[in-house]
Amino acid sequence: MDPLQSIMKAYNEALFDTDRDGALKVVHEAVAAGVTPEDIVFKVVLPAMESMIKSISEDFDANLAQHFMTAQIATEVTEEMIPKFRAVPSVAGRVVIGTAQGDMHSLGKRIVIGCLKARMIEVTDLGVNVSPERFVDEAVACNAGVIAISAMMVHTARGENGCLRVRQLLKERGLDTRIKIVVGGAPYHFAHDLYKVVQADAWAEDGVTAGRVIEDLIRRVR
Amino acid sequence: MITGMERLAAAINGQASDRIPVFCNMSDQGSRELGMSIEEYFSRGEYVAEAQLKMREKYGYDNLWSLFYVGKEAELLGCRKILFAKDGPPNVQDFVIKTYDDIHKLVVPENIAGHPAFQEELQCLRILKGEAGGKYPICAYVTASMTLPALLMGMEKWLELLLIGPVAVRDELLAKCSDFFRKEILAYREAGADILIYANAFGSTDFVPMRIFREVSVPWMEKDLNPGGTQGVVYYCGMARLTATIEEVFEKTGIGTYYLSPLDNIEQGKKIIAGRALCGGVINDIKLIDWSRDEIRNEVRRIIEAGMTGGRFLFGTGVMPYAIPEENIRTMLEAAYEFGRCKSQ
Repeated sequence: MDPLQSIMKAYNEALFDTDRDGALKVVHEAVAAGVTPEDIVFKVVLPAMESMIKSISEDFDANLAQHFMTAQIATEVTEEMIPKFRAVPSVAGRVVIGTAQGDMHSLGKRIVIGCLKARMIEVTDLGVNVSPERFVDEAVACNAGVIAISAMMVHTARGENGCLRVRQLLKERGLDTRIKIVVGGAPYHFAHDLYKVVQADAWAEDGVTAGRVIEDLIRRVR
Repeated sequence: MITGMERLAAAINGQASDRIPVFCNMSDQGSRELGMSIEEYFSRGEYVAEAQLKMREKYGYDNLWSLFYVGKEAELLGCRKILFAKDGPPNVQDFVIKTYDDIHKLVVPENIAGHPAFQEELQCLRILKGEAGGKYPICAYVTASMTLPALLMGMEKWLELLLIGPVAVRDELLAKCSDFFRKEILAYREAGADILIYANAFGSTDFVPMRIFREVSVPWMEKDLNPGGTQGVVYYCGMARLTATIEEVFEKTGIGTYYLSPLDNIEQGKKIIAGRALCGGVINDIKLIDWSRDEIRNEVRRIIEAGMTGGRFLFGTGVMPYAIPEENIRTMLEAAYEFGRCKSQ
């Protein structure tokens, strides 16, 4: 087996077993054996995320702990590897992320942020309980192509101070072709068409998948 | 006239009644019923009890709730800030645990029933018991030790501690949460609650892998439940799927009712339960907001047809968002009464 493939296999197995120490050990041993930091991020960490997304789409029951750990390890490895890159990596896009107004749930956002970092997407975390005005103002200030809104409750997903108001503000300011909206969180998991009701451009089933959905949206606004 | 309690008893014992029990989790809707804001509504036990009794009478379902909002448990453990909305459930706004040091300082009240933050719930229970005790099962909501930390420190920080934090700190917190659980369930039982909803998202393999479920969740469930027993306890994973864990939970705790997720396969759930316990088939009530009359009826029919064969089945709802139109609630319940009729009667 190609050495990189066996590293990927060992890393994936650690992720699926929510074994952080095991995953970091695989990475550190690979670096010590001469694998470049670039290959660690782009040929181990990112493919592992894609593999999890593929498994989820094929009805593998990936659970919240695995999503959390995938993002956590991706964050730790990416932050450790980037300073060791031969050249500063180019930014693939910019995103602002937060939970909808009235919503204090931060876990989904954290998973998404971890997955975006490994994709070289610059993320501005606006925190929890974010007003629609702030989402739009910060997106403009950061030159973000995507606003990501997390909502764990039905009223914060559908309510007048959530995505619907963000869409309205983007329209009023003539920004809705330049800035896309992605949503995620429990209510969307239980009603897959809800993202259309709240006038988002896309939704993601889980935090790991959100990384790819956002990457695709960024390509659309370039 | 057959009461909700009689329907439930028949279902538990595998006997036929006029129809299967229908449980409806109406909570925030009580404020609309009384024409007041959600914050005002949850400020008094009298209000909650009055609305619960009115809504049960109006819609005809079989249960009553003593639940105010989930964050009430955090209030009993020191939370002082709840974020109220005008169209949804209140949220814990300020977490009791911000650092691991706060876990060491966390004090579980000795006497839950005497705690100021429990008095309105007690008042609600007193009224419900007086007005409908013995006729309609009164439900209380009790969060499992494995899930309570999410209310005290947020889901993000709890998952971090559970998965990559110091095990001794994790277990110190779980021990305090389990101690709280045992005291709280006792307080609810003494106040007259008939049904204890054991809410445990971390009892689902949607949340944690089977390894963590077996190594951490199950032992803490045993510590929660074994001392006081499982009389009236319902296993509920907060809308997460639970069929993968039923067998183990039944074996280790003997819980007698399993309230499935709308995403669970009902036939599979019933097959695993194999007549040993009561099974709740639950509608995806987030979709109930937008469904047409036909869609609602078809879904209710599908659930009941999938679960009713072989008996020991009830129809239930999940989170019942405030935004569901009243007409859709009626359509759902009427369909449940119609399709849930026992044919032998």
